[in-house]
Amino acid sequence: MAGISGVLMEQRNKIFLAVSGIVFVALFWIFRISTEADAQDALMISFLSLENIEDAGDRRVRLGGIVDPGSIVIQKENLLDCNFTLAQGSFKVPVHYTQVRPDLFKDEAEVIVTGQYVNGVFEADELQTKCASRYEGDLRNESSYQLEDLDI
Amino acid sequence: MTPVAGGYALNLALGFSLFSIISVFWFHYNKDARLYFTAQRLVLGSCLLVGFATFVLAAELINSNFDIDYVAHYTSLETPAVYKLTALWAGQEGSLLFWLFILSIYAGTVVIQNQRRNVNLMPWVLVVLSVVMGFFLVLTNFVANPFAPTDADFQVMNGNGLNPLLQNATMAIHPPTLYLGYIGFTVPFAFAIAALISGDTGSLWIRSVRRWTLVTWMFLSIGIILGGWWAYQELGWGGYWAWDPVENASFMPWLTGTAFIHSILIQEKRDMLKTWNMVLIILTFSLVIFGTFLTRSGVMSSVHSFSASSLGPLFLGFVFFLLASSFALLAWRYSSLKSDSKIQSISSRESGFVFNNVLFVVLCFAVFWGTMFPVLTEAVQGTKITVGPPFFNQIVTPLALALLLLTGVGPLLVWRKTSKTSFYKNFPIPIFIGLTAAIVLIIIGFGSSVVMTASLSAFVLAAIMLEFGKGMQIRKTKLGETYSASLMHMISRNRSRYGGYIAHVGIVIMFLGFTGKAFDQEAEWGLRKGEEGHLAGYRFSLVQLSEAERPNHYAWIAEISVEDIGGEKVTSLHPEKRVYFHNNPNPDRRQPHSELDIHSTFRRDIYSVLSAVDTESGTAFMKIMINPLVRLVWIGGIILVFGTLISLWPRKEAN
Repeated sequence: MAGISGVLMEQRNKIFLAVSGIVFVALFWIFRISTEADAQDALMISFLSLENIEDAGDRRVRLGGIVDPGSIVIQKENLLDCNFTLAQGSFKVPVHYTQVRPDLFKDEAEVIVTGQYVNGVFEADELQTKCASRYEGDLRNESSYQLEDLDI
Repeated sequence: MTPVAGGYALNLALGFSLFSIISVFWFHYNKDARLYFTAQRLVLGSCLLVGFATFVLAAELINSNFDIDYVAHYTSLETPAVYKLTALWAGQEGSLLFWLFILSIYAGTVVIQNQRRNVNLMPWVLVVLSVVMGFFLVLTNFVANPFAPTDADFQVMNGNGLNPLLQNATMAIHPPTLYLGYIGFTVPFAFAIAALISGDTGSLWIRSVRRWTLVTWMFLSIGIILGGWWAYQELGWGGYWAWDPVENASFMPWLTGTAFIHSILIQEKRDMLKTWNMVLIILTFSLVIFGTFLTRSGVMSSVHSFSASSLGPLFLGFVFFLLASSFALLAWRYSSLKSDSKIQSISSRESGFVFNNVLFVVLCFAVFWGTMFPVLTEAVQGTKITVGPPFFNQIVTPLALALLLLTGVGPLLVWRKTSKTSFYKNFPIPIFIGLTAAIVLIIIGFGSSVVMTASLSAFVLAAIMLEFGKGMQIRKTKLGETYSASLMHMISRNRSRYGGYIAHVGIVIMFLGFTGKAFDQEAEWGLRKGEEGHLAGYRFSLVQLSEAERPNHYAWIAEISVEDIGGEKVTSLHPEKRVYFHNNPNPDRRQPHSELDIHSTFRRDIYSVLSAVDTESGTAFMKIMINPLVRLVWIGGIILVFGTLISLWPRKEAN
C-alpha cells in the first residue's frame, strides 16, 4: 500500500510541478511583454491628455476628445485628406488624417486618434469614433433647422 | 397610462424579489414548506412583471411614443418596425431591462423545472436568482429607468432614430444571443452557491446545471461569433476581432466558462476538481458582471462603451460583493469539497483536463491584464498606456497554441493512466501527420506562426479522426455495421463525447481561418470612371458611379469590376455610400453609412468600401482589402455550434 501511495504522491507532485511551471512561464511571458523596453514602442501606446501633448516627442501616442464643431476641413482634390481640431475642455490640437473616416465621424463626435505630433499638428494614422451603442445625442427641436444641402 | 404601468411593474417586481429572499430565510428557520412555495411564486411573479414591463416598452417603441425619453432617443418615425423593436437593446436603459427580461425567462424556467425537485438546493437558488434580479431591478427602478419621461422643453415630434449601423439583421440577433449566453451563467452560479450554503457539495448541482451551462456557453459562443461577423460586414475596417475592451469583456467569461464545461466532466466521471469547479463558476459569473461594468462605466476607452454613468460604481460594487461572499462561502465549505479520488498519473486524461483548465484560466488572466493595462498603468505611473492587437496577439498566441495542442492530445490520453502501449498505439499517426504538414509548409515558405498553427491543427484533426475511426472500426467488426451506420450510431450513443469532438473540429477550422490574417493586403484609391487600381494580382476598375433614392436613405453606388492577372473577370462589387435620414431638415440627424460589398470564397475575401464620393469630378474613393481564409472562421463557428447541439441533444432513453 505504501508503495502505491508513494507512486500516487510522486505523480501528484509531477502534476503540481507541471501546473506551476505552466503558470510561472505564462506569467513570466506576460510580465516580459508588458515591461520590455524594446516592445513598448510597438505594442504599447501612451494615452495622453491634450494638455500634455508636448510630452509626446516623436513617440506614437493616442489622444481622445471631441471633434471641435465646424473644424472639419476636407480637401476638395482628395476627399480622404481631412483636417480637424480635437478638443478636450479648453485644450485643442489640430489633427491631420488621410485615411478612410468612420461613418460616425462628424462635429462633436467623441473620437480616439493615434499618431505622432509633428510641428504642432497631430498626424493621425488611426481614427476611431465611439460606436453604435453611443448614438446618444440630445433631443433637438426640428423647427429650429432649415433644410441644407446633402453632404457626405 | 401604459408607460406608467411598465414603471409600476418594475417597482412591484423589485418588491417581489425582496420578499422572495425574506421568505426563503424564514422557511430556513421554521421549515414551513408554504414559505418555500411562496418564494417560488414570488420569483415567478417577479419574472412575469419584468416580462410585462418589457412588453410595455416594446409596444411604446413600436408606437413611437416620444413622450418616453428612451423611445425618443433610439427610434424615429422613419425607423422600420423591426428595428424599432431591436431598439429595445440599443441603449443603456432598454438593454438593462432586456437583461432583466432574459434573466426572468431563465429564472422562471428554473423554478418551473424544479418545483418539486432539488429541494435541498432550490431555496438558495431562489435567493441567488432574486439577489441578481434585485440588483438589476434597483438599476432599472432608480438609476436607469427605461420609462422616464422626455425632459425636453418642447414637444418632441420625431425621435433621434436608430443608428444605421444597428439597422442590420446580424445586429438584431447578436445582442440577444450574447445576452442569452452572458445571463445564462447566473443559473449554474446560483446552483453552485446554493450547494455551498446548503452543504450539499456533491455532484448534484453539477448534474443539475451541466445542460444549462452548455446551452449558455453555446449562446455566448454564437453571440461572440455574430459580433465578429457584424463588425466584419458592417464596420468597414476589414476585421472581425480588435481586442477591444468590450469584446474582451465577452471573451473572458467564455474562457473560464469553457474551462468549466470541461472540468465538470471530471467531477461527474471521477468525483474530482470539486473546489476548482466552484472557483471557475464564481469567476465566470463575476466576469460577466465585471464585463457589464466595463461596458457601462465608461472607465475604458472603448469604441463600444456606453456613455459614462453612475452605473459603473454600482456594478463594481456588485462584483466585489459577489467575489467576497462567494469565496467566503467557499472557504467555509472547503473541507467538504475535498475528494477521495486523486489523479493517478500525469499521463492520464484527467491531467490533460487539468492542464487545459489551467491554460484557459491563464489565458483569461492575460486578456484581463491587457484589458486593464491602461487603468493599471494610470494608477501606478500616472500615464495611461494603451495596448492593442499586437500586444494581445503576442501574449495570447503561445497560450492559444498550447491549448490547440492539448485539444489534440486530450482524446489520445486514457483515463487514470496512459500506458506505453496506449501511447505507441494512439500518438504516432497524429504526430506523423502534424510533422508532415509542418515540413510541407516550411518547404512552401510559410512563416513560423502559420507553420505552428497549421501543423498543430493537422495533429488535432488527425487525433479526432483517429478517435472516430477507432470507434467505427470496433462497431463494424463487432456488429457488422457499415461505416456510415456505425458513425451515426456511435455519435448517437455518446453524443456528449462526439459532439465535443465535432466542436473541437470547429475550433481547429477557426484557428486555420485566423492564420489568414497574417496575409491581409489593402489599398485605398480615388478612381474616376474607367480608371483602375491593382492589388494582390487583381485589377479593380470603376465601371460607373450611380445614385439612388430609397425610403430612408440616399445612396451613391460604385460598380467595380474585378479581374484577375490573366484578365478574366472575377466579380463585380457594388459598395455604397449612404446617407440615412437625408430628407430630415435637421442635419445632425443625417447619418452617413458605408454599405460594404464582399466577394467571399474559401481562399479569400475581396472586401470593398466606398469611403467618399466627389460628385463634381465623379471620383469614387474606395478601400479594397484582400482577406484570406476569413470564411473558415465562420464555417468553424457553425461547426462549433453544430457539435455543441449534438452534445445537448437528449438521448431517446432520457425522453
